[in-house]
Amino acid sequence: MMAGAEKFVEADNAEAIITRIEHKSRKIESLLKQNKPVEALKTALEGSPPMTRDERCKSANWIVVHRALMAIKDVEGMFSSLDPEYYDILMKYLYRGLSTGDRPTCDQCLRIHEKLTERAGLGCILRSLADTVNTV
Amino acid sequence: MAAVAVHQFAQCITCHAWSPDHSMVAFCPNNNEVHIYKLLEDKWEKVHVLQKHDQIVSGIDWSRRSNRIVTVSHDRNSYVWNQEGPEWVPTLVILRLNRAALCVQWSPNENKFAVGSGAKTVCICYYEQENNWWVSKLIRKKHDSSVTSVAWHPNNILLATTSTDGKCRVFSTFIKGVDTRESKTGSSSDSKFGEQIVQLDLSFSWAFGVKWSPSGNTLAYVGHNSMIYFVDDVGPSPLAQNVAFRNLPLRDVLFFSEKMVIGVGFDCTPMVFAADESGIWSFIRFLGERKASSSGPKYGSQFSEAFGKLYGQSKHGLSNDTVEPSRIRGAIHENCINCIVPLRKEGFRTKRFSTSGLDGKVVIWDLENYEDLSDYV
Repeated sequence: MMAGAEKFVEADNAEAIITRIEHKSRKIESLLKQNKPVEALKTALEGSPPMTRDERCKSANWIVVHRALMAIKDVEGMFSSLDPEYYDILMKYLYRGLSTGDRPTCDQCLRIHEKLTERAGLGCILRSLADTVNTV
Repeated sequence: MAAVAVHQFAQCITCHAWSPDHSMVAFCPNNNEVHIYKLLEDKWEKVHVLQKHDQIVSGIDWSRRSNRIVTVSHDRNSYVWNQEGPEWVPTLVILRLNRAALCVQWSPNENKFAVGSGAKTVCICYYEQENNWWVSKLIRKKHDSSVTSVAWHPNNILLATTSTDGKCRVFSTFIKGVDTRESKTGSSSDSKFGEQIVQLDLSFSWAFGVKWSPSGNTLAYVGHNSMIYFVDDVGPSPLAQNVAFRNLPLRDVLFFSEKMVIGVGFDCTPMVFAADESGIWSFIRFLGERKASSSGPKYGSQFSEAFGKLYGQSKHGLSNDTVEPSRIRGAIHENCINCIVPLRKEGFRTKRFSTSGLDGKVVIWDLENYEDLSDYV
């Protein structure tokens, strides 16, 4: 409840976080092979953002989320099985995707962004922009 | 119909307050003046202009029993206005601030008032009979940023504040000679002036608009991240609930009853939040004509043009109907609402409140005919 700076782990924990992300990455690859892209995205978003200021951890997690994000073909279908609790964190990663400037990534992020905004409203965008502490 | 009266008083209104009998309304038309309008033969007429401040008046409160108006301004000063015959006579209150004053509230007993400021301080002002002078006592070094809102607990001692550092805090404002020991209750009974009772660290962005429930058991405040926070058992181990909503952030809140809160803000339409039997708060509905938009990306807000541009440029873009003027369809306020005031009379329950905002309107709302809300009122 009392979220704050104390939740952040410092650099000596970075290795543990990287290991966790690597584990997550393997799980996502296996889910994608089984043609379960939404499950893969949920897995990617779980434990995100990695509660750290360490940029290496953040990029490692982004690579994993990006992998799952790009595998989504049916956006409407994705939302029918993605619970609202994932909306805020998904929005954050969509903005991270848009900030890369990479054409296919931006196309995909905009497509999801449109549908997500329909579902979660402007409040979701506000929450992802206003939160300067838990950056992804 | 929820809105019973709409008055276009100015281009823009920063804040407003009602006289004790609601026959007069005082507001600041976004400048250094306070205008007082009175209902004369079915028409609102300007009867007074309070001119003393040098800059925008950011807060007005009109005390219910003593009929005194307190105003604060970006010029760092405060005035207490007393009606003497036909005139309103100002008394300067030296706040000792080096930044703008942002908000003001009379305490329930009307023997003190609290001022929040951009100087990261809160001023508690009280009248000293022997010197014929309003004294300002400061709560310093507790806030890390501007104090955006202040709210008095019904016990006249506890004060809740919100700040742009994202936190909501509760302080004791006990002043010897002004407050009596009997007026204190429970855990706050031995706290000194300026002592922090609790700091609530729920929001990651600016916090605005704090209020206590009528009993003082629940505290509600809003964050600039489209969240509203409800806190029970304010003290060493508070119980907090975060409610996220799909609309633009709120600026101010008002407790209508222990179980119902009205929020107003950038979405231009009042929002009703209520607690169910188990005490879980949730968004119930909008007030007024506007329906909760669930169909298509039509956002009635200042964002809509930006949205049109965003999707107009996207390869998988939509038709152009996403571009619409920055005006809310069918809503009563046409811009951000930044002030909500109850229309309560002494010893008389009413279901009315008023709102004002950047569109210069003062709107009076009545919840009398809302059957779906009658369980919460």
